[in-house]
Amino acid sequence: MKILVCLKQVPHKDARLEVASDGSWIEEGNLKFEINEYDTYALEEALRIKDAGDAEVVVVSIGPERVVQSLRTALGMGADRAIHVCDDALEKTDSLGVAKTLAAVAKDEEFDLVLMGLMSDDANYALTGPMLAERLGIAHAAGIVKETLSDGSVEVERELEGGSLGVVSLPLPCLLTTQTGMNEVRYASLKGIMQAKKKPLDKKSLADLGLTASDVEPKVTVEKIYAPLKGEGAEIIEGSASEVADKLISKIKELGLL
Amino acid sequence: MAKILIVGEVHNGELLEATLELVTLARNVGGELSSLVIGSGVAAVAEELSKKGGGKVLLADDAFLENYTVDAYTQVICKAIDAESPDLVLIPNTSSGWDVAGKLAAKLDTGIATDVIRIEEDGGDLVFIRRMFNAKFDARLRLAGSPRIATVQPGACEAFEGTEAGSVEALDVSGLESRTKFVELRQAPAGGHDLTKAEFVISGGRGLQKPENFEQLLKPLVEALGAQMGASRPVVDAGWLPHDYQVGTSGQIVSPKLYIAIGISGAIQHLVGMKNSNYIIAINKDADAPIFEVADLGVVADLFEIVPALTEAAVAAKS
Ligand SMILES: Cc1cc2nc3c(=O)[nH]c(=O)nc-3n(C[C@H](O)[C@H](O)[C@H](O)COP(=O)(O)OP(=O)(O)OC[C@H]3O[C@@H](n4cnc5c(N)ncnc54)[C@H](O)[C@@H]3O)c2cc1C
Repeated sequence: MKILVCLKQVPHKDARLEVASDGSWIEEGNLKFEINEYDTYALEEALRIKDAGDAEVVVVSIGPERVVQSLRTALGMGADRAIHVCDDALEKTDSLGVAKTLAAVAKDEEFDLVLMGLMSDDANYALTGPMLAERLGIAHAAGIVKETLSDGSVEVERELEGGSLGVVSLPLPCLLTTQTGMNEVRYASLKGIMQAKKKPLDKKSLADLGLTASDVEPKVTVEKIYAPLKGEGAEIIEGSASEVADKLISKIKELGLL
Repeated sequence: MAKILIVGEVHNGELLEATLELVTLARNVGGELSSLVIGSGVAAVAEELSKKGGGKVLLADDAFLENYTVDAYTQVICKAIDAESPDLVLIPNTSSGWDVAGKLAAKLDTGIATDVIRIEEDGGDLVFIRRMFNAKFDARLRLAGSPRIATVQPGACEAFEGTEAGSVEALDVSGLESRTKFVELRQAPAGGHDLTKAEFVISGGRGLQKPENFEQLLKPLVEALGAQMGASRPVVDAGWLPHDYQVGTSGQIVSPKLYIAIGISGAIQHLVGMKNSNYIIAINKDADAPIFEVADLGVVADLFEIVPALTEAAVAAKS
């Protein structure tokens, strides 16, 4: 069994984000980055399959030099090898460009399973997975909360509205995107981190993958990002903690709940 | 003039409200409108949509389409696109919407914007507005390629309420295939913690930082006020509270007299679950948190200071 896990590095959840001076993305200069939470569940799921039997887990990430750190973390958690795709032409590409690049990475590897998060915590597009499956010509299911592998196929639970689940079965090879909370993600152990230093980490450019800049020319352009326009919003109460508490208690009484 | 194709959605034999919201959106953009209804035994739904403003409705009715599979739905949407040659395809951003939309865009090698809340015209071109970074920012997107595709956030527009004559045409859906096999639909196990009828819900979010704080900080407050405890998804994902505490699209939809959100940012999936509460109070240290947009009363402060003070005041008020 050979599994590819696609990881995106995104700003840390608690980072304070500011719009960059060109207005089309956030200022990345001083931010802390981490592996996209949705993707961590995909990685954990792959590592569980490996723990339960015989599997090679390959992790891939597209991005600047900083993403090496996330790949090392994934190797420390137990992935076997890593691929880092780094190319200036990928900086302004879109989800489809990313999917084309990942498809080129996967092309000659014959993966049985491709896993990644349902969406990324930065752009929230939820597109890369289904796009990659289409480019690879394999079946997919988006937003799964459970998978059970059997010979040549996998049965998954997709999360639908209101907490109901759609159970479907897919032939291997296939691609699955993971919803948050599907497992408990492990931490890299100290021993794991030491071992990770010896694991292979290949760096590839677009040219190495047989692609050119025009192959990843974006069809989607983010023209501008900005703080959402504020509506009327809430009436804000101020004061010391006990003053605020008293005002809230009066409100609760007024609503007849105390 | 633009041609727009709406991909309708049917749940349990009924037209999903989000489909009629797309009708409103499409009419605001303007142009020639057609719609698609997919399923088995759904002729009446197609009829309904044609009378509710869906324009020319294409009916993809086949036993093979009884249950959603991404492969078959993609093939049907492609057939409808071939028949209508739209410039813009609108799809509800539901669990099937986000399964099918990316595949469709990759197949057609075209531009797509997901979870769109508005479409505006600017300089003869369309601009797609959506949230990013978990609603911290809005973004304006331009799309190349044809047709352009947008999935639209349910609830972003009012449902279209007009009526008209309308027409229904059958779409040839022979030769469908699916690698994915439908197995079954499973309802979430009903938990014992029912918030849907609660009068007073106090929910904690990721801002509470660790499970102990639900026990030691939030629970005393909830008990002092005689409320019920709820939570946002990350709290449940992390296993701090069971799933039947979760409020939101993938949890429970609540409408109490009073909802207090503590350390919750106000992501759309959470708001959908609580915005119909009669009165909303939010406590969050970030003045820009989107929860303050739906709250009636807000406290911009550290919850670790406010919650103990509030518990104390609640205990005092009762004695
Ligand atoms: C398909 C799908 C379904 C989903 N379904 C649901 C659902 O049903 N319910 C749900 O809730 N989410 C759901 N989500 C997840 C949702 O998108 C958000 O990720 C989630 O609601 C965020 O939870 P949160 O507000 O607790 O955490 P965060 O967004 O991390 O917010 C934490 C907040 O706490 C504040 N805070 C931190 N420390 C303090 C402090 N000391 N004092 C005061 N404030 C503080 C911060 O300012 C921040 O605003 C779903 C997502 C998807 C993709």
